[in-house]
Formats: sequence, C-alpha cells, structure tokens
Amino acid sequence: MRLAILTVLSETRECTFSTLRDELKLTDGNLNRHLRILEQASLLQVVKGYEGRRPTTWLRLTRQGRAALRAEIAALEQLVSRVRDASTAHLDSDTDAP
Amino acid sequence: MDQASKGQATQTLAELERLRRRTRIRAHGGAWLPALGIAVLLLASSALYRHPFAATHSLSVDSPYWAGLPDEQRDPLASYVFWFLCTPLLLAAVGAWYRWRSRSLGLRVAWPLFAGTGLGVLLLLAVLAAVPTQQQQQSDTLNSSPDHFWLAGLLTPLLPIAAAVVALGWAERSRSLTIAGGWIAILTVWLCGWLPMGYLPGWATDLLGGDLTGLVNGTPNSLGGQVGWRPGIWLTLMALPLVTFAAIRGWQSWRAASGG
Repeated sequence: MRLAILTVLSETRECTFSTLRDELKLTDGNLNRHLRILEQASLLQVVKGYEGRRPTTWLRLTRQGRAALRAEIAALEQLVSRVRDASTAHLDSDTDAP
Repeated sequence: MDQASKGQATQTLAELERLRRRTRIRAHGGAWLPALGIAVLLLASSALYRHPFAATHSLSVDSPYWAGLPDEQRDPLASYVFWFLCTPLLLAAVGAWYRWRSRSLGLRVAWPLFAGTGLGVLLLLAVLAAVPTQQQQQSDTLNSSPDHFWLAGLLTPLLPIAAAVVALGWAERSRSLTIAGGWIAILTVWLCGWLPMGYLPGWATDLLGGDLTGLVNGTPNSLGGQVGWRPGIWLTLMALPLVTFAAIRGWQSWRAASGG
C-alpha cells in the first residue's frame, strides 16, 4: 500500500489527502497510519493549508521518496527477471536430460 | 516459493503501472488548454503582419521584430501591445484553469514554473530590447549595431513563447510538449537570426537537393537559397504540434472523465 501511495504522489506535484484516500479506497485512519510512517522516513512531506475556506492537507513526494520508489520498483523487476531466468534454465536442463 | 514470489511481484508491478497511468491521465489531463491557448496566440499573431499570407515584392522590416518574425508589420506598437498584453493574460487564464483543476481533482501540477518562465523571458526580452545600441553612420545608411545583427535578431516575442512551452512540457511531464517548444525555438532562431526570412545556406540547399559532393568536400556547390513562405505559414507550422497535442490530450482526458 505504501508503494501505491508513493506511486500516486510520483505522478503529481501535490495531492490532497482525500484524493489519495479515494484513489486507494482506504479509510482515513488507515491512510493516516501509512502517511505517518512514510513521513517519519522522510519519503513524503505533509503540507496543511486552505483551499478557499476549507482546510486541506496536501501531500508531496520528497527526493528521497522518489529515489526509494525507483529503487523498490527496480528491485521488483529484478526479482521477476531473476525468477524468469531461473525457470528458463531449469526448463533447459530438463530438456537436455537424457 | 520462487514462482509465488514472481507472481506476486508481477501482480504488484502491474497494479502500480495501472495506478501510475490513471493518476498521470488525471493529473496531466488539463495540459490541452495551455497548449491550445498558445497555439491560438501564435496563429492570432498572423494578423500583426501587413501581408501574412500573400506574396509581396518589397518589404520594410524593423528590429526588434515585435510582431515575432522579420516581416513587415502593420504597426510596431500594436505588435508590442499584443504580445506584452496577451501573453500575461493567457498565463493568468492558464493559472486560473490549473487552480480550478487542483480544487476539483485534488491534484496539483507545477504550473507556476510555466507561468514564471513565460513572464520571466518576456521581461528579459523587454530589458534587452531597451539596452541602448550603438549606431554607425555608413555613407547614407544608418545601421544599428551591424556586428551584433544575429543577436539583435533574437529579440522576438516568439522566444519567450518557446521557453514557456518547454517549461510546460517539464511541468506536465510531456516529451511532446518539450519537443513542440524546441520546434518553435529552432524555427524562430533560424527565421529571425538570418535575413532574408527563410534563408538557406549553400550546404543546406545542397543537402535538400541531394547533392552531397559539396558537403563531403566542405565547399558547397550552391550559393544558398530561400524558403519563400510568408509569416502566416511559418506560424501555422509552429502551432501545428501544439494543436495536435491539444486534440490528443483533450480526447484522452475526456475519455478518462467519461469512464472510457
């Protein structure tokens, strides 16, 4: 879920709390818990302000957050390709066997 | 165990990609309006020229080219007012559009960078154009800084527009918009940097004519030539990528909004 939060934030300069909550279909409490953890890790920044007269919480990905997301996606892609290579090698050895 | 991890990783990657794409379309779906606005501004500037499309035998060109391109303008003051009034107005309208979108969608785009670049480069143009130039009397002709003609030729309101489009491309994370801005800049530098407008050096004429011997030897066979198009055609060419982008992005945005 935290990867999903970082992914949404990576595609925009800032995103409101409510938009992110609706997009990921989370409850306020659940999203808050994830955000607190990500904020403590300096992966995102929380900016409180007003949109007209309505109080709004804006969320912004930090540079570390962007780098962390990139690293995590690269690790997932690496895992997929490693398992694919391993299964291809396994299939080859099965075919070569007499 | 490994196959299960692979399946889970593949599923996560696919889900993230779907989320990324959906957010991108929503967040950057509003780029069609500034692109269309700039295209309209470029096309509307055709009206600043005395003969925007019709061929003419004699021309009187004043520098700086307040109309945009080095061609005979109807009234330099009207050209000046057009760019220095309409550009900030357009940027203000685009700012209002992005503010409205961020309120209704809850997603913000780095549009102040676009507006800041457009206004900043326009201001820089005004400052550079106001720098006093040394004038030289040569026989009966008065030349303004003939040694710096090339640089003086770049004092045109089309360059702030090109810079703004490049900045818009960065803000909207759109390579197409960045290329469209580069296209406007390249055409502007070429058309305004050398006279007559549309001038082709010898090597370029050889290249277009398929005669590569001059290019290989380093001595062009041709003396050069000129693309004899009028400002209206060049402005249409500049605006074309923006209009195409606006049409495609507008359609994508509309389709996403209607749940397609």
